[in-house]
Amino acid sequence: MLEYVLAKYNYWIYVVLMMIGLYAMMGKRNLVKKLIGMNIFQTSIILLFVSMGVKKGGATVPILMGDGHGHGEQIIQVADYLNPLPHVLMLTAIVVSIATTGVALATLILIYKRYHTLEEDEIMAIRKEAAAYKTLGT
Amino acid sequence: MKIWFKWISLIAVIMTGALLIYGTHDMPAWGDPNSPANSHVSPRYILEATKLTATPNIVSAVLADYRSYDTLGESAVIFTASISCLFLLRRIRKEKTSEDK
Amino acid sequence: MIWQLDLILLLFIVICAIAAINIKDLMSAVIILGAYSFFMCLLWTEMGAVDVAFTEASVGAGIGTVLFIAAINKTARRSKD
Repeated sequence: MLEYVLAKYNYWIYVVLMMIGLYAMMGKRNLVKKLIGMNIFQTSIILLFVSMGVKKGGATVPILMGDGHGHGEQIIQVADYLNPLPHVLMLTAIVVSIATTGVALATLILIYKRYHTLEEDEIMAIRKEAAAYKTLGT
Repeated sequence: MKIWFKWISLIAVIMTGALLIYGTHDMPAWGDPNSPANSHVSPRYILEATKLTATPNIVSAVLADYRSYDTLGESAVIFTASISCLFLLRRIRKEKTSEDK
Repeated sequence: MIWQLDLILLLFIVICAIAAINIKDLMSAVIILGAYSFFMCLLWTEMGAVDVAFTEASVGAGIGTVLFIAAINKTARRSKD
């Protein structure tokens, strides 16, 4: 039982982080809070993928010893180096996540310029009022 | 209705989390050197990267040599994001100046 | 891989995440999100993913926080929940 918990507790904490982000995206009504939740969600997914490349038992950072031209290095053992593939993919994911955050924040500024609030329920009330006014006018 | 919605979302989030924790039952133990993710493609990268690309840093070798089209697509995404930010924020400045006049 | 450091960092990360979504002042929430990103960066360094940690420290914690603060300066700072 203890061995099972020790082998899996990291995954459970990632799931808890994802739950925090998902709750912020669903339950909070401030739009900036929703964006913060989205960031937490993305980081938890990236954390899960990076942690798939971890090897226990003496594996180090995936940078080879030697001068890089095949001289001066010993025979390379696969078990000595961490898995580089999740690192590469998640480098791309981090940069893409910051790009989406930037576009979302620009949209947020536009929303604030139009409605003068960032609370979702107030924005919906204003929109409902405007729609009712429009049908009344015609 | 507002408090009601918060409780509904909390229940949905907890159910999703329980499902995912049930899903971790099938995952390999954390840090297992022989897990499927560690035993299929990456040994080839570790063994051949320095011979084929003459780069000691395997992550840089994979990012810029093996998967450089991926990096090209990433830069296309950043370009799209910056252009869309530029257009979103430029329109508002023009409106402001026209209102000022 | 030191499991004590791993546990402490994961605990700090969860605390920072809960604080970031529960604080009513948005500027404080964003600063705590930056702290969360730096703890994440430490965790990745401890896992051996140094390139990801570099990128997260510069892009996630640096540019992300700057973008959030710029947007909050242009909009409202208070939030209702």
